[in-house]
Amino acid sequence: MPQLIAHLDMDSYFASVEQQAQPSLRGKPIGVTGKPTERSIVTAFSREAKRFPVVTGMPVWEAERVCPGLVLVAGHPERYVETTRRFLAVLEEVTPVIEVFSIDEVFMDITQAVPRYGDATRLAREVQRRFREVLGPHITATLGIAAAGKAFAKLVAKRHKPNGIGVLRDDDLPALLRTTSVSEICGIGPRIERRLGRLGIRVLSDLAEISEATLRHEFGIYGVFLRELGHGRDPTPILPFSEIPPPKSVGHSKTLPPELREISLALVVLHDLADKVAARLRRLGYLSRTVHCGFRTGVLGPGYAKQTTLALPSNDGEAIFAACRSILDALPVQPSEVAHVFVSATNLVARDALPDSLFEADRRRARLNDALDGVQRRYGERALRRGTSLLIKPLPEHVGGFIQESWEVR
Amino acid sequence: MNVIRKVGEAIDALVVYRQRQTHPELRAFRWGGRRYDVAATNLVHVEREGETIHLCYSVSAAGEHFHVRLNTRSNQWTLDEIEIES
Repeated sequence: MPQLIAHLDMDSYFASVEQQAQPSLRGKPIGVTGKPTERSIVTAFSREAKRFPVVTGMPVWEAERVCPGLVLVAGHPERYVETTRRFLAVLEEVTPVIEVFSIDEVFMDITQAVPRYGDATRLAREVQRRFREVLGPHITATLGIAAAGKAFAKLVAKRHKPNGIGVLRDDDLPALLRTTSVSEICGIGPRIERRLGRLGIRVLSDLAEISEATLRHEFGIYGVFLRELGHGRDPTPILPFSEIPPPKSVGHSKTLPPELREISLALVVLHDLADKVAARLRRLGYLSRTVHCGFRTGVLGPGYAKQTTLALPSNDGEAIFAACRSILDALPVQPSEVAHVFVSATNLVARDALPDSLFEADRRRARLNDALDGVQRRYGERALRRGTSLLIKPLPEHVGGFIQESWEVR
Repeated sequence: MNVIRKVGEAIDALVVYRQRQTHPELRAFRWGGRRYDVAATNLVHVEREGETIHLCYSVSAAGEHFHVRLNTRSNQWTLDEIEIES
C-alpha cells in the first residue's frame, strides 16, 4: 500500500479562535496582536481582513492603514494551546502517526486509516466535521493529501485554503512539477531560490533535469532532497511525538514597549528572561554550558549577539544573567536604547549526568531554586519573583510559537 | 469596535456534568438578580495559575456574550467580562 500523507493547516488560526470565543468579532476584519498599540505587530488576521493586502507580522499602524475598520484584539495564548490540544485529540482518533509541525499545522500518516473511511477525501471531510463539533463552526482547517510526501501535502493544502480539501492524484503530479515554482515549497526561501535560479532552476521539474552531483556540490546533502522533490518525492519521515528529539537549546526573547527601552529597565527584563530560561532548564532536567545573549536597538533595527561559555554548566538564573551581563559589559559602547532582548541557553547536558557540586554555596542555590520552583509550580509563575521585576509592569506572553513543550506536559 | 467590559463578580451557576466530557456544561447563571440561560457555549479553555486550574467559558445568553470562569480548586464561578458590540 503506498504511503499517504496529510497536512492539516488551521485557517487564520488565532483570529478564528478569537472569533469563535467572541461572537461580536465574527464577520469583521480582525487582527490579533500581543498588545494593541501602534508599535505592536499583528500576528494573525481573520479571513475578512485577508481581503486587504495585509501580511502576518505587519506593524499595527500599517495594518490599520491597508485594512480600514480593522479590529485589534489582544491574543490569548491559552485559548490557542487548548484548541490545539482538542484538535490533536480528534486527529488521534484518526491515526497515531502525527507530527506537530507548529501550533496550527500537523502532518499525519493516514495510510492505514484511509480504508476505514473509504477514501482520503471522506477521511478529510470527517476530520472537518469532527472539528466543527468539537471546536465550533468558526474554527476551520484545510487538509492537503499526497502520496508524494510532506512537502507536496503542504503545497496542496496551501492551494485549497480556507476550509478546503485537496488531494494530489498521481496523474496530476507531472503537471504540478512543471508548473510549480520552487519557492512555493516550504523551506525554499529567497536565498535558496536565487541560488537555484543561477543554476537555471525555476520550477520543480527543473530539479530533476540537473545532475545530483551539481546539486550536491551546491547544497550538500540538501541537494539530494531537492533532487527528490524534482522527481515528485519528499522522503522526509513523519516525526511523531514519541520520537521528538531532546531540545538543543532553551531561549526566551521580548520586544520591549517604549517605556522599557532605557538600558537599566531593559536589564530588568533580561534578568527576568534569564530566570525563565533557568526555570525551564530545571523543568526539562538540563544544565547549560553556553549562554547566548543579544539585543536590537530598534524593533527591526540593527542587532548585537554574542555567546559565552560558563565555567560550570548551570541552570541557575543568576549565573545565566551574569553571563549575559558579561557579554553586554564587553561592548565598547553601551546602547542607550534597547528594543528587543533575547537569552538562549545551549550546549545542554542532562542534569542527571553530572554529580552535585561539593561547594556549599552551590548546594544552597540549588535548594533555593528547588524551593522557588515549588512555589511557582503551586501558585503560578508570578507568585514569587525578584524585587527588581516590580520596577516594570508584566509584559504580555508571546502569541504563537510551537506547542511541543505544552503538549509534552499534558 | 469591540469593547470588553470587566466585571469580576461571583455568580451562581447551574451546570451539568456529562459522561466523557472534559468540562462541566454551563446551563445558566444568575448575575445582578437576573437569570441568564446559556444559548451557546462558544469556547472553553483552560488557564493555569500554579496548580489551580480555571475553566474559562465563552457563552452567549439573552443576546449577550459573557466570559465566565470556574476556579476548580475553590469551585467558585466568576463572571469575568461582557462583550459589548458597538
